[in-house]
Amino acid sequence: MKKKDNPVVAEAEGFTLRRREFLGMLTGVAAVATMAGPSALMAKVMDNGGILRVGAPANPSSMDPATGGSGSDHVFLFPVFATLVEWDYDTLKAEPGLAKSWEYPDSKTLVLNIREGVKFHDGTELDAEAVKFNLDRSRTDPRSNIRSDLASVEKVEVTAPHEVTVHLKSPDTSLPLVLSDRAGMMVSPSSIKKFGEESDRNPVGAGHMKFVEWNDGDRIILERNPDYWNKERPLLDGINFRIITDSSTRLRSVMSGQNDVAYQLEGRQKPLIERGGSVEGVYGATVYCFQIYLNHASGPLSNVKVRQALNYAINREALVRASMHGAGEPAYMNLPSSHWAYDADVAELYSYDPDKARKLLAEAGYPDGIELDMRGYNDQGSVQRQEILQGMLADVGIRGTFKTGTVPDMSAAYFARGEGDFLVSAWTGRPDPSLTYALLYAGDSYFNAGKVEPPEGLMEAIRASRSTADLEERKKAFSTVQRIVMENALVVPLAFREDIMAAVPKVENLQTNLLGKPKFKHVYLES
Amino acid sequence: MLLNRLVQAIPIMILATFLVFSLLQLVPGDIATTIAGENASEERIEEIREQYGLNQPFLIQYGNWLLNAVQGDFGKSLLSGEPVLETITRVFPNTLFIVIYAVVLSVVIGLPLGILASSKPNSKLDGAIMGFSSLGVAVPNFWLGMVLVSIFALGWNWFPATGFVRPGESFTSAIWFATLPAIALCTNGIAEVARQLRSSLVEIHSSQHVRTLHAKGLSPTAILWKHGLKNVSVNLLTVISLLFNKALAATVVVETVFAIPGMGNTIVKAVLEGDFPVVQGAVLAMVVTVIVVNLVTDLLYTVLDPRIKQV
Amino acid sequence: MTTHALDMAVKEDSLFSKFGQWCRRDKRGSASLLVLLVIIGIAVFAPWVAPYSPTEQDYSKMLMEPSAAHWLGTDDLGRDVLSRLIHGASKSVYAAFLAVGIALLIGVPVGLLAGFLGGWVDVCISRVIDTLLSFPAIVLAVAVTGAMGIGLTNAMVSVGIVFSPHIARLIRARTLVVREELYVDAARCFGASTTRLLVRHVTPNAIQPVIVQCTLLLAVALLAEASLSFLGLGVQPPEPSWGQMLARAYMYMEISPEQMYAPGLMIMVTALTFNTLGESLRVALDPTMKGL
Repeated sequence: MKKKDNPVVAEAEGFTLRRREFLGMLTGVAAVATMAGPSALMAKVMDNGGILRVGAPANPSSMDPATGGSGSDHVFLFPVFATLVEWDYDTLKAEPGLAKSWEYPDSKTLVLNIREGVKFHDGTELDAEAVKFNLDRSRTDPRSNIRSDLASVEKVEVTAPHEVTVHLKSPDTSLPLVLSDRAGMMVSPSSIKKFGEESDRNPVGAGHMKFVEWNDGDRIILERNPDYWNKERPLLDGINFRIITDSSTRLRSVMSGQNDVAYQLEGRQKPLIERGGSVEGVYGATVYCFQIYLNHASGPLSNVKVRQALNYAINREALVRASMHGAGEPAYMNLPSSHWAYDADVAELYSYDPDKARKLLAEAGYPDGIELDMRGYNDQGSVQRQEILQGMLADVGIRGTFKTGTVPDMSAAYFARGEGDFLVSAWTGRPDPSLTYALLYAGDSYFNAGKVEPPEGLMEAIRASRSTADLEERKKAFSTVQRIVMENALVVPLAFREDIMAAVPKVENLQTNLLGKPKFKHVYLES
Repeated sequence: MLLNRLVQAIPIMILATFLVFSLLQLVPGDIATTIAGENASEERIEEIREQYGLNQPFLIQYGNWLLNAVQGDFGKSLLSGEPVLETITRVFPNTLFIVIYAVVLSVVIGLPLGILASSKPNSKLDGAIMGFSSLGVAVPNFWLGMVLVSIFALGWNWFPATGFVRPGESFTSAIWFATLPAIALCTNGIAEVARQLRSSLVEIHSSQHVRTLHAKGLSPTAILWKHGLKNVSVNLLTVISLLFNKALAATVVVETVFAIPGMGNTIVKAVLEGDFPVVQGAVLAMVVTVIVVNLVTDLLYTVLDPRIKQV
Repeated sequence: MTTHALDMAVKEDSLFSKFGQWCRRDKRGSASLLVLLVIIGIAVFAPWVAPYSPTEQDYSKMLMEPSAAHWLGTDDLGRDVLSRLIHGASKSVYAAFLAVGIALLIGVPVGLLAGFLGGWVDVCISRVIDTLLSFPAIVLAVAVTGAMGIGLTNAMVSVGIVFSPHIARLIRARTLVVREELYVDAARCFGASTTRLLVRHVTPNAIQPVIVQCTLLLAVALLAEASLSFLGLGVQPPEPSWGQMLARAYMYMEISPEQMYAPGLMIMVTALTFNTLGESLRVALDPTMKGL
C-alpha cells in the first residue's frame, strides 16, 4: 500500500513555461481575440453553448475521484467535480477554485478560504464541513486511492463555516497543487453516505456538469449544472463522451462528424488532421514522459555501465519520429526542456551513440551482449514503441523478447512482484518535481521496482529542493538531483508526449494544458 | 414437442456454462490483481481474494456463479464495476442489429445469385457466381471492413467510418451506420446462400417431378416459385441459422474495426484487460443465443416440413 | 505373401496414375494444389527468398511507396513489406497447420474413445462435442487465448481446441461403423489386440473425410490466425504475420491505405486455395464417387 499511483497515470507537474507560451507568440492575435471575447460573446452563448460530443480514449476506472486509479479519468471528472484549487492551462500555476484563497500562516499550516454559496448537484451545501469530509475521506478511507497524495496532512480542522485549516506533519508547499487534482475534487458528502461503494458509478460534485449516464466502454452523458457558481462564462448544455479506445477510430469519428472533439491522438495522425479541411488541430506540450523503468537490484542492470549503455543505445530522435511522427520531444531527463527546472547540461549526457553503448557493455564484462527480460503493455501504440526499442537495443547487443500484458497486470508484476528486468511505461509527472523524484527513486518507493537504495546525495538533494520556495535555489537543487539520476542511469527517459486534439471548426476555446488532460469548462459551440 | 426441445437444451446450456467457466479458470493472471487495480499491495489482493471467494475450491466457485447466473446476476466488471448483465443487455441489441442486417443482406443478395446460377448450370454466369462465392468464403471479414472503410468512408465519404446509432434513436441513421459493417459480415452468408440454393435447385431441376411439370407446360419461373423454392426452404433455413451463428462470431473482429459498442468489442476488450466476469458473461450470452437459434431452427423445420415431426 | 506384394504394387501404381488422372480432370483442384505448394515453399524458404530482413528497421524510409528497391514499399518502421509478407507466410501457414494438428491430436483419440467405448462415455463425449460445436469458434478462441496468455502458439492451440470437436465427431461416426464390423472380426481372430484392430480399421476408413475436413479447417485456421493477430492476441512483434501486418496497417489506414492490401490479399488467396483444394479432395476421395 505504499503508493497508489500508476506510472502511466500519475499526475503531472506544472510551474513551467511551455511550448504553449512559445506558440502563444505565433497565435498571439487569436489568443487576444479569445481572451477579450468571452465577455462580448457571453450574452450570446450563455444559455446556448450546445452539446459537446467528445471522443474519449478510455473507459473511466471509477467516477469517484477518491477511488479511481487511472489518469484518463480526469477528463470525465473535471466537469463533474469542481476542485478546491485550479491551475493555469499553460503553466499549471495554482489559481483559486472552490477555495477563493489560501495561505500558510506557518510552514506547517495551510488555511483554505472556501467560496460561499456553492452547492453540490444534489443541493448539499459546499462548506468547510464538506471540504473536511472530503479531505478526511481521501486520506483515510480504505477505498481511497489517493491517501499518499495527502500523506503530509496531520489533521483537518473546520475553523469557520467557510474556513478549513490543514495541519501538516512536515512543510509541504506542493499541497495547493495537490488540491487541484483528485484530492481537491469535492464530492457531495450526502451522496457518499447515500451510495456507499456505489459512489463509483454515481458521481455528485459541484462542477459545471451534472452526471446523467455512464454506459461502460460506450458513453458518458453529462448535462449542464444550472446552479454552477461561476456564472461568468459561456456554458455548454452538455457533454456526451463516447469512449473509443482506438485512436485512429477516434479521429475518424470527428472527421466523419460523429463527434466534435477527440483528444489524446497520436503523432502519426497529425498530418491527417492538417490535411483534412473538416477538422482543426489543437496541440500542446505535456509533461507526460515515456520511459523505461529499470530494475537494477540484480543481474546485468545492477551494473551502472550496462544501464548507461541502454541510455546510449536509444536513438530518441528516431523514436520520436517513428512512433510519434515527430509530435513529441526526445527525453534525456525526467523534465522537458521547457520546464523551469530543466538542466541543459544534464541533457547532454546521453546523445545517441551505439558504439559507446557496445563499448560500455564490453567494459561491463558483456562483450557478446546480454539477454534481458523485457516487459511492456499490449496496446498497439505500446507494441509499436516496444518494437522500435527492441530493434535499437538488439543493434548494440541487448537482446530479449517482450512479455506484454494489460497495464494493471504488467505493473503489478513489475513493480509489486519485481518480475522482469525492465518495463516500458510512462510517467505523467507530479505537481512538483520533488515528488516525481522521490516517488521514482526513493529506496522504499513503489516505482523503484528493485527497491535499491538511491545513490548517495540524491535524497538530500530532493529534501533541499523542498526546503525553499526560491525558484533559483530550487532549480539548483534539481540540477543536482537530475545529474545524480542520469549519471547513475536509474532510468531510460524516452520522449515527452505532445497532446493532440482534433475538433470540428464550430468548437470554440478548446485548449490543451500542460497536464495533457483537457478541461472543457471554457469550450462552447458556435451556433 | 416444444417442451421436449427446451428440456433437451437445458443440459447443453449448463454444460456450456461449465465449459466456459472452466476454460476461463486457466487465466494465468491473477483475477484478484486485476480487481485490486494498479499497484495494490499484496495484503489488499489477499483481501480481495477472500472477498470474492477466489480461494474456494473450483466446483464451489462454479456452483456459486451458476446459482447467481440463474438469478440473472453475472457479477460485475472488475474494472468499472458495471453489472455484467447490464453491459450485455446494453450492447447485445447492437450486435444483433448488425448480425440480422447482415443475414438479411446475405439472403437478399444470395437468393437471386443462387437462382441465377442454377438457371444455367455450368455456364459462364454460373462459374462467375460460384467463383464470387468462393471469394466470399475466403475473404477475411475484418479486412473487407478495412477496405470498405478506406474506400466508402474515408475516400468517398458515403458512409460513416466508425460508430453506431441505436435503431431506437433513429432507424435511418442506424441503417446508415450499420451498412458497412453488415456488408463486411455478409460475404460469407451470400456465398453460402447462393451455393446452397444453386445445388438444391439444380438437383430439383433435374428431378423427375419437375421434369414432369415442365412437360406439362408450366413456365420455368412458375415451377421455381411453386415447387423449387418451397422444397429448398428447409435447406435454406439450415444455411440461414448457420450463417447467423457465423456472423455473430465474426462480429468479434468486425466490431473492433468499426468501433461498434457490441458484444464482440466488449469481449475483446475484456479479454485484453483480463476482465474475467465480463468475458464469461458475454461468451455465455453468445453461446446461449446460438443454442436458442438452433432450437428455433429445429422448430421451424417442423413447421416448414411436417414430415420431420414424425421422425 | 506374394499376392499381397503384388496387390501393393498394383495399388501404388494405380495411386500414382490416379493422381495424374485427377490432375487432368480437376484443373481447379490441381491449380490450387500448385499455388499451395508455392506458398508453402515460400514459407519454408522465407529467409532465402526474402530480399531483406523482415525486422530490420530504417527510420529514413518509413511508409514508402512501392519502388524498384522495395516492390511493395516499406512499413511504419521502414521495413520492407515484401520481406515481411514472405516471412509472414511462414508464421501464418505454420499457425494454420499447428491449429489443425492440435485439433487432430485432441479430436482423434476423443472420437475413437467415444465411438469405441459407446455407452455413457459416448453419451457424455457427444454432449460435450455438441455443446462445443454450438460455441461461436472465434469467440471461444479469443476467450481461451486471453486465458492462456497472448502469443501465436497459445492462440493457435486455442483455435485447435475449438476445432477438435469437428474432428472428434467425424472420427466417432466412422468408429461406430467400424465397430459393428469389428464384432465380426473380433470373433474371427481372437487374441488380436482390440486397440490395434480398431486403429487398423478405423484409419483407412476415416482418413479420407478427415483429410477433406482438415484441408477446409486449414482455411478457417488461417483466417482465425489473422483475426487473433489483428486483435493483438496472436503473433507478437517484431515477428510478422499477415494478421499482425493488418493490425499495423489499420493504424495507418488514412495515411497509407495501400499497406493493408498485400497481407489481406495473401490471406484471401491462401484461404481460397485451401477451400478449393478441400472441395476437390472431397469429390476425388468421396467413396461413392470412387468408381468415376
